[in-house]
Formats: sequence, structure tokens, C-alpha cells
Amino acid sequence: MNPPSIKAMVQAVPRSLGSYAPVLQEIEQALQSPQCNLNTIGDAIQKDPDLTARLLRLANSPFFGFANRLSTVAEAVSLLGIQQIQDMIVASSVLEQFKGVPDNLVNKHSFWQHSLAVGLTARLLAMERRLPKPDKFFVAGLLHDVGRLVLLSQAEKWVRAVFEVYQREKILLREAEKKVLGYDHQEIAAELLQSWSYPPTLVQAVAFHHTPSLSVARLDAAVVHIADHLVNAMGIGSSGEQFVPPLDEKAWALLDLNPDILARLVEAVDEQILAVEEAFLKKPAGGAS
Amino acid sequence: MVVARDVKNIDGMLLVPSGCELSERQIGVLQAWGVTELEIEASEEQAKARDPLAQLPPDVAAKLTAELRARFWKPDDFGPVPAEIFKLMLLRQARRVLNPPRP
Repeated sequence: MNPPSIKAMVQAVPRSLGSYAPVLQEIEQALQSPQCNLNTIGDAIQKDPDLTARLLRLANSPFFGFANRLSTVAEAVSLLGIQQIQDMIVASSVLEQFKGVPDNLVNKHSFWQHSLAVGLTARLLAMERRLPKPDKFFVAGLLHDVGRLVLLSQAEKWVRAVFEVYQREKILLREAEKKVLGYDHQEIAAELLQSWSYPPTLVQAVAFHHTPSLSVARLDAAVVHIADHLVNAMGIGSSGEQFVPPLDEKAWALLDLNPDILARLVEAVDEQILAVEEAFLKKPAGGAS
Repeated sequence: MVVARDVKNIDGMLLVPSGCELSERQIGVLQAWGVTELEIEASEEQAKARDPLAQLPPDVAAKLTAELRARFWKPDDFGPVPAEIFKLMLLRQARRVLNPPRP
């Protein structure tokens, strides 16, 4: 029997923004209104107490590092910007979307821990390299292994076969995917994100995070590649791969950064990861403020 | 004390090259030149106190190194940057053994 086609799997993934869809819709509508101001956006978000608590928790965390405590959503929107808020909501919605994926082959909590850490590290690397829109890299990092979730949700028995080959032959998980399926999780993610109309550079960063030198957006892919390598080395969560995959030194050279920054970067990730995990993975205790 | 990095004045002129032993009198002269700080080499004990791996019993340090090597793909093929990352991770692991992170 042949493995399922990438297209068929991606088409079977329902595009839903989960419980955040009404908020996003309201923000879109508010933005089109001439009377739109920060309070209107804040009000739209505040209708969802869970989202409000998450956003405030993230806004007050070392991830953004504001000196003063933010107590209202309107303040958070004014300091973070609407684009950034929308990115964060969309990112949270992807976490919701794959809630039902079985846990037996890849632990989902560990999967998202790894993905969030790659997002965080990619954002920090982009900031270090002074690339525009560093939050775009957070989303790319967060979604870099989403192809594996598509596989788990649409072709579980094929994933089982991949893991059998992976364990028996002691090769990289991506190589096992190629061997069993004829394609890997990067290609699935590319198809999925394209179908969701994500920006082409973001799709490239995800689609080539193991092979950045082959990408037409090499710098974007290199950022996610290095972030993924570092997070695997730090052992924060796992998307199924037990080895730290090899680092493409050409990708590091492309970033043109001094290796001295690595120690600072690792320290910053250790400092911020708990706050990011709490904002995205834990149910807010107190609800809205 | 031994100077760890070249000491230069505000115009970039070399005052004391790295590796030079400094006397009390020379320190006074450097202050007169407007030098407010300089880097000195750590003593062996200070260096050991700063190196978390050196603070671990040798068998624990060896076990940590072996475990980390086993997690990396083909560690024998490391270029300079992966080697630097490996070193960083080893120090991080050693620090975590000495001061476990909060759960």
C-alpha cells in the first residue's frame, strides 16, 4: 500500500481558528472601521477571558521585557502592535487546532515545548541579527514541525512505520520519513502553510529548516535551522527526534554572527522559556483581568 | 596580576599588551592615563571556580560528557560552531547539576 499523498493529507486538515475565530474576526472588522482605536481592539480581545489572560501574561513576561507592568489589553495592544497581537492569536489557534492528535507516538506537550522554544530562539536570533519583524520568526519556529502533526493526525499507522525504521536503523527521524513515505515533514508543512496563505518567506523558513541552503529565502530558513539545532541541543521538549540533528555551518555563516553570542542566546532562552510555555500551554488560572 | 587583554588609551594606542605582569606602580601610571578598568587573567583557583564542569567529581563530569555526546548526531564530524555549541551545552548541563533548575 502506498503512503497517502501530501495534498490529500493537507486537504483533510480542517482550517479552523478554534475558539479564537470570533476575536480575530472582530479585530479584522474593527480595523476596517474609521472609528477604530486601541480600546476597540482591546474590547474585542477582552471578550475572551482566556485569551486576555494569556496575552497579559505574555506581555508582562521577559519575552517582551517591558519595564512597567501592563494591566489592560489596550496597553498591551499599544505596546506590542496589532500585527504582533494577531500573530500571537493565530499561533495560539494552531495549538488548539491539533489538540485531538494522539499522544502515544509523540507527546504533544513535549512537541509544543520544543516548538515554542524554537519560536523563541528564532525570534531572539532574528533580533540579534537585526532582521525586520522578528515576531514572524517566532511563528515560523512555532510551526516548523507542524508537518509531523499533520502526519500524526492523518496517517498514524504510517508514523508508526516511520518510528520502526527510525529505531531499527538508528538514522535521523527525517531520513526515516523519507525512506518510508518518500517525503518528509518539511514538505507537508510547506503544503499546509501554503494552503493557509501564509507569507512565502515564512513558508520557506519552515519548508527548509533542515536544509536552509536549498531555500530561496536562505536567511529566514537559516534562522529557524539554527534555532532548531540549539533547542534540540538544549533538550527542551521534542517533536519525536531523539538526536540533535546536524548543523549546517553555511547557515551559521550566512547569519554572520559572532559565536560569542551563543552563550547569551542560550541564557536568554533559559530565562524566557517558562514564561512563554505558561502563556501558551497552561490554562490561565485567574481568567481575565 | 597578568593582563588578559591589550590595554589601550582612548586613541587606541597600546599601553600594555596582554600577557604582561602588572606592578602596583604600573597600575598607578595606567590610572593617570585615564584607564579605569582592565581585564586580568584569573588564577587557577578562580578559573576552576568559574568552570562548572571542573567543580563536578571527574566521574560525574565524564558521564555528563558521554551522555551529551550520545545525543548529538555524529559528534566526531563537528566543525568549529557545532563544537562551540557542544561545549556550551556541556557547561549548561554541569551548571544544572550543580544548581538544578526549579521544576
